[in-house]
Amino acid sequence: MTFASPSAGPARERRLWLNRSMLAVALLALWEAGGRFGPERWISRPSAIVARIGDWLADDLMMHLGVTMTEIVVGLGIGLPLGIVLGLLLGRSPRAARVFRPFIVTLNSLPIVALAPLLIMWFGLGLMPKIVLVAFVSFLLLFFNTFSGARAVDEEQIDTLTLMGATGTEKFIKVVLPSCTSWIMAGIKNALPYALIGAVIGEMMLSRAGLGHLITRSAGQFDMTGLYAALFVLMLLGALFNEFANRIEKWLLRWRPAQTKV
Amino acid sequence: MRSPSGPDTGSRSVAALQQIALLLAILLAWYFASGNLLPAFYISDPVSVAKVIGRWIADGSLWLHIGTSMLTLFLGYAIGATLGIAFGLLLGMKPDLEEMLAPFIAAIYGLPKVALLPLFVIAFGIGLLSKVMLVASVVVFLLFYATLSGVRDIDRDMIDGLRLMGAKEDEITRKVRFPAILPWIYTGLRTSIGYALTTTVVAEALSSNRGLGFLIEHSAAQFNAAGVFAAVVVLLVVSSLIMIPLGMLEKRAGSR
Amino acid sequence: MKMTAAQKIHTQPDMAQITLENVTVEFTSRALTVKAVDSISLDIRQGEFVALVGPSGCGKSTALNMIAGLLKPSAGSVTYAGAPVAGPNTRVGYMTQKDTLLPWRTVEDNIAIAFELRARKAEAANARERVREMIELVGLAGFERHYPAELSGGMRKRAALARMLIYEPETLLLDEPFGALDAQLRLVMQQELLRLVERRKMTVVLVTHDLEEAVALADRVVVFTSRPGRIRMMRDIDFARPRVPEKLRFTPEFGAICEELWRELREEVAKSVAHHA
Repeated sequence: MTFASPSAGPARERRLWLNRSMLAVALLALWEAGGRFGPERWISRPSAIVARIGDWLADDLMMHLGVTMTEIVVGLGIGLPLGIVLGLLLGRSPRAARVFRPFIVTLNSLPIVALAPLLIMWFGLGLMPKIVLVAFVSFLLLFFNTFSGARAVDEEQIDTLTLMGATGTEKFIKVVLPSCTSWIMAGIKNALPYALIGAVIGEMMLSRAGLGHLITRSAGQFDMTGLYAALFVLMLLGALFNEFANRIEKWLLRWRPAQTKV
Repeated sequence: MRSPSGPDTGSRSVAALQQIALLLAILLAWYFASGNLLPAFYISDPVSVAKVIGRWIADGSLWLHIGTSMLTLFLGYAIGATLGIAFGLLLGMKPDLEEMLAPFIAAIYGLPKVALLPLFVIAFGIGLLSKVMLVASVVVFLLFYATLSGVRDIDRDMIDGLRLMGAKEDEITRKVRFPAILPWIYTGLRTSIGYALTTTVVAEALSSNRGLGFLIEHSAAQFNAAGVFAAVVVLLVVSSLIMIPLGMLEKRAGSR
Repeated sequence: MKMTAAQKIHTQPDMAQITLENVTVEFTSRALTVKAVDSISLDIRQGEFVALVGPSGCGKSTALNMIAGLLKPSAGSVTYAGAPVAGPNTRVGYMTQKDTLLPWRTVEDNIAIAFELRARKAEAANARERVREMIELVGLAGFERHYPAELSGGMRKRAALARMLIYEPETLLLDEPFGALDAQLRLVMQQELLRLVERRKMTVVLVTHDLEEAVALADRVVVFTSRPGRIRMMRDIDFARPRVPEKLRFTPEFGAICEELWRELREEVAKSVAHHA
């Protein structure tokens, strides 16, 4: 069994990316050929997909993207702060925590996204049901993570500051809050992809705009090129979200001991 | 100042009483709010919801829908877990290959799998298969990454130490690698059930004529609030029955 | 002058800085009750340096926790400067076995934290200066902007020590502060501790496993029994101050005292090992 040796310099990096590029090109070529000589109707081909994306860009792709992004951003803007605040409040109050615990655990086991039809029934067409869904999902995630973080604060660190004469507020700001940061970050990292999923699912169920709508519309017309194009855009968006979350985490948690990879 | 005997156990029963009180308060509030504060059209009321559930039990449809969801869930889970573990082991043992493929895998992982449902329906039809494939596609990634982490996490020093003692390669695999990977696989199995359940229900809501997800969607489409709430309550019970014991298992495993 | 546990030391009450009177601590969790400390009585004068030694688990750290006001005794009373200890005692500096540095702060920010508190705003004059001096003192120069995760265990201990000493509390509670340091650094730190303590006339309660350290630094050594901890004996150490620990170690009187104490201690250590066997 061989282990990957730690990256031995730029030459190796270059070879790695060369291999990856060749693989990607080979796959795309295979796909293109398959489409040209095979059942193009069902599997389409990269050139057609790129062309379609081009068409969409000229048309209303940005509008759809905007709709999805709005649902996500507004939803997160509501859900994240609420989850963090409530998580901190309940986390530091052992009595409240004990009473609410079973409710929280039960609520956490419910697939929240499955409530999308309910929200659509309530709020109808438009952005509202998706915003509420994203807000609810992100609220639960951040609440749970922040709650755990608030309860996991090292009591000895708090004691040390108590003995120095720190007030409750000072201890909260200087110890509890920074201590929770890694938990909150974990919550946010989870919440971002979930927000995307929530928005897209809501749109797939009932919508007149958004990426999810593009997907179902293409599928409904058996427009495979459109379907693949929409999926590709969605994939890009998902990758961007992940990268964004990773960057934030790295910056906020630069004091963490480096995780060594074997 | 802390007292050495810890938090007093009397408060545990107080907490239980408070929880029951809270639950009753919610139910009562729901009952009175419906029709008075908020239109029954939107939130129904506990009694109607109970009646709907009762009807579903009586005509057997409840079991049909729960059964469909569970079948989809477990089939997809089984397929996905098996494939995920297999790929994880395979690529774990070929780190160079894994390194090359990593961005491709990550890119597909970044795509919300539910978006693939229309594609799967076109490919596999509206029946169970498309949903099973969707659930499998979600689970496969999770188990893949879990297994991969397990393979990577193996303590190099431990293996070297055993090699110096004269252990053969297969002995090392049995005594060190296998036991080291297992906890990671267990964790992966536990965490992916939640995602598998979510995927199942959502897929049924999007395109199905059976299952818990279908129940929710169907009632909602008909603006049948009692039906929607009834389906949600059933889902809540089912998901709690699945997830809560798992959570307790996890806690016990973690405390070892 | 040797004294047995049967005799309590009575100093003029108004001179006692810290008093433990018939203090017992029992920890209960579920069905188990463990008596950590059994009816100990101890008076510590202001400016006195007392070392607590004893086998592991004998309640020495528990005693410190009570003086610090972090733990309430199950029975008996703890008094500090004439008043009963009813809550966290902000007149002491406490260094636990585990260094409780805040991992998200750099070394210098960790050390400076006391001066950020409103309660100590008055003392914060030239905080920057004093932090720098303290960092030099504990030998961490060059590591000011490092995070605790980047330091070795010994370095973290030094940072924790600096954090405590910088605002010069009137009493120091130290729980094995130098255990993780190498022998040379330990001697240096012991010397520095004495220097600071003697200059400010601080009261010190030191918990240590190192008998030599106890005899070199303390005015009085208290030997604990194995669990449940009682006071087995106390011995005054009369070496003149200021002391130089590294020289003191080679005097015959020093060796004699250490041997005498070790004989008492050894029995208790053997007992506690038997319990855990």
